[in-house]
Amino acid sequence: MLEVKIEMSVTRLKDVIIPYLYVLPAVLLVSVFLLYPVIFTVYISFTEWDLITPPKWVGFAQYIKLFTDPAFTQSFRNTLIWTAGMLFLPVPIGLFLALIINGVPGEGLVKVLFYLPRILAATAVGIIWQFIYSSDGILNSILTLIGASKFTHTWLTQSPLNTIMMILTTGWGSVGWAMVMFLVGLQTIPLEVIEAAKIEGATEWQINRYIKIPLLKPMATIVITMSIIGSFTVFDLIWVMTRGGPYRSSETLAVTMYRGAFVLFQMGYGAAIAVVLSIIVLSFSIIYLRTSFREE
Amino acid sequence: MKLIVQIKKRIMSIVFLILAFLWIGPLLIVIMTAMKRTEEYISKSPLSLPESIIPLFANMKAAWQLSGLGPSFENSLFYAILGASIAIFLASLAGYALTKLKIKGSFTIFMFIYAGTIFPFQLYLIPLYKMYNIFNIYDTKIGMLIFYITICIPFCLFVMRNYFTTIPNEVIEAARIDGASTFRIYRSILMPMCISPVLTLFLFQSTWIWNDLLFGLMLSKSDNVRPVMPSLMLLSGTFGIGSEPQIMAGALLASLFPLLIFLSLQRYFMAGLKLTTAGE
Repeated sequence: MLEVKIEMSVTRLKDVIIPYLYVLPAVLLVSVFLLYPVIFTVYISFTEWDLITPPKWVGFAQYIKLFTDPAFTQSFRNTLIWTAGMLFLPVPIGLFLALIINGVPGEGLVKVLFYLPRILAATAVGIIWQFIYSSDGILNSILTLIGASKFTHTWLTQSPLNTIMMILTTGWGSVGWAMVMFLVGLQTIPLEVIEAAKIEGATEWQINRYIKIPLLKPMATIVITMSIIGSFTVFDLIWVMTRGGPYRSSETLAVTMYRGAFVLFQMGYGAAIAVVLSIIVLSFSIIYLRTSFREE
Repeated sequence: MKLIVQIKKRIMSIVFLILAFLWIGPLLIVIMTAMKRTEEYISKSPLSLPESIIPLFANMKAAWQLSGLGPSFENSLFYAILGASIAIFLASLAGYALTKLKIKGSFTIFMFIYAGTIFPFQLYLIPLYKMYNIFNIYDTKIGMLIFYITICIPFCLFVMRNYFTTIPNEVIEAARIDGASTFRIYRSILMPMCISPVLTLFLFQSTWIWNDLLFGLMLSKSDNVRPVMPSLMLLSGTFGIGSEPQIMAGALLASLFPLLIFLSLQRYFMAGLKLTTAGE
């Protein structure tokens, strides 16, 4: 009798513990390598630290330094140019393309071709476009060929032209993505609604304006917030194409953070930028999460 | 009337195809440049057609050797395939427990892990760099792999959990009554039903790992650890060591993996994009 009882409680115990063992590896890895670093970075942003000697508490000094630092102001301005660019290039063009290509024969192939640049690493894209923009590169050759040689430039050496050219490069990768996202959104619109409108005699433009675009609003919110978040965190492409130069003229917050921490070894300063950047990104993430979880 | 619509659609699709091919024009130029000998590249316009495709292989070979792209290629294959697979495995275990096993605070645990997707990477960099040095895993293969696994887990968990909730609990109960063990239910019943989310996740996560530059730059330095993108960067640019055709051949080589994965798993791709929007 007693034996049976012990055996029972052992199985009971196993039933209780085993589920937690299934979750344990994921929880452990995420806590150690992602969540703990977040807390630690916030702490470091209130210190002065060179990675070797112990961190020295300085309160808000790093943040005050940020807002009086012309390099940071420049970087912040560039980041805002990036945000504007990511909003006004891929989103409307992607929406426009999605609306007119939806249902046209060959949609599948066109989709794949437009999406292709997005598959490539930002590093590879940056290298390719650096080559296109170089002084004896493709863009200048084409300009010369069509008799517009007076428009040739060294595209990546002047500010804000270098930032704009890099935004165009990213746009090349993002338009296809935005288009496909909107096509996914269009698939969820019930065909009957559109058929009914057609029977009522609605023109294609009216269907787009009054049915499709309003119904695409949740997807548009997602595409827009993802674009904004992307514009604040872009790093690889800039690091490859200009390294934030010349003379720090094309840095964005993510690049300034990396340079502060891993080139200048001012960890407190880098951490403070990371925190500012994260506050901005997280406030947009909340919008994004609300939209996507509401749909669920 | 119908005929006019038909013709209009035909014309539209042709216009679009031309546009789409122009859109990938830069890629065609890359391929053209990668086919040129260095002297040919220097003496002719960058828009000229290559004389033959033979130099492509010499250029690829040079790119492979010059900046350690060759060994990096192997490293990144290791990280991308193993990293994505292990992340999906661990995330599916967790998702299984959170949805199908009795566990207290399952939503809290989910949100705790899912929080790992919302922070910008910049928040991780400084502590990771310090930790990796303290734990002696800086510039080691295992260190890189652990990080790539971890960064992929939250999103994988999100997708797997969503998918598991669509599988009725009766399926699990029936198996339990038949005497199947907890792990056996996971392995023989649940996972075989999840082939499409698993492949979709593999497509997105392995490509992400392969394409990563930032963490590769920060957590590795030697040839036998460094992933492919930092090596490609070493090859190019003002600080680089390759000639233009060699750099372009390198960029092509480094893009082969994501292109192959994308083209072979393409039919999971639209479904996958839907997943990235979280909803539905």
